[in-house]
Amino acid sequence: MSCRELIAVLDDYLEGTLAADLRRELERHLAECPPCRAYLATYRRTREVAAAAANVVVPEELKARLRRLLGVSRAG
Amino acid sequence: MSRHASRVYRVALGITRSSADAEEVVQDVFLQIVHKGAGFEGRAALGSWIYRITTNVSLNKRRGKRRELETSLEDLLPRYKADGHREGDRAFLLADWSSMPDRELLAGESRRILEEALDRLPDHYRAVLVLKDVEELSSEEVAEAVGDSVAAVKTRLHRARMALREQLTRRLGAGR
Repeated sequence: MSCRELIAVLDDYLEGTLAADLRRELERHLAECPPCRAYLATYRRTREVAAAAANVVVPEELKARLRRLLGVSRAG
Repeated sequence: MSRHASRVYRVALGITRSSADAEEVVQDVFLQIVHKGAGFEGRAALGSWIYRITTNVSLNKRRGKRRELETSLEDLLPRYKADGHREGDRAFLLADWSSMPDRELLAGESRRILEEALDRLPDHYRAVLVLKDVEELSSEEVAEAVGDSVAAVKTRLHRARMALREQLTRRLGAGR
């Protein structure tokens, strides 16, 4: 497996959906390839940090506006 | 109401990257929920409908507002040599910032770098990223929300993550 082939199946590997033989090949490649190990670690961390950054809370003012909106619509 | 509002706001902000636009999207979506009334077959139908309508309204809101920052994704994908090895400076290929803790990555200069990297992604790529990685929908559910095939969603998601990783590594990875 080349670095290109490894990166192409990275999501399947991380999701645990990669076929067993491919997974073994990928892990063999990882054991011998420091750049791919760095790629995997930073790719995985990218997913985590992007998700954490986007996990925002609704502003209270907007919630109040929605309550008014729903109240008016129901009353109407 | 609160749970739906949180979902809609997260997705809308993730796609539009503007709190003012995201707030408008939330209001539009809630008005549509009210107008649809009891027309849903159940909670599951409402949930998937909310993601679909929020994605559509958010993408429409972004139409014509493509930012200067947005760059070609091709420039942010890994490049390879003929033998399949990655191309690039050895120090860059080995750069590993993954041990940086959240409190460091999500604050100050690193946070700014992350936000800029997200801004640079095309809207449709940010849409699948937020639906999959933040809302934790399955690929099938994301495909339904964006109106595309599962294969197209998986490809777009992989390219979005690679492009984001590339940008973060270029700016955070030096010296690590």
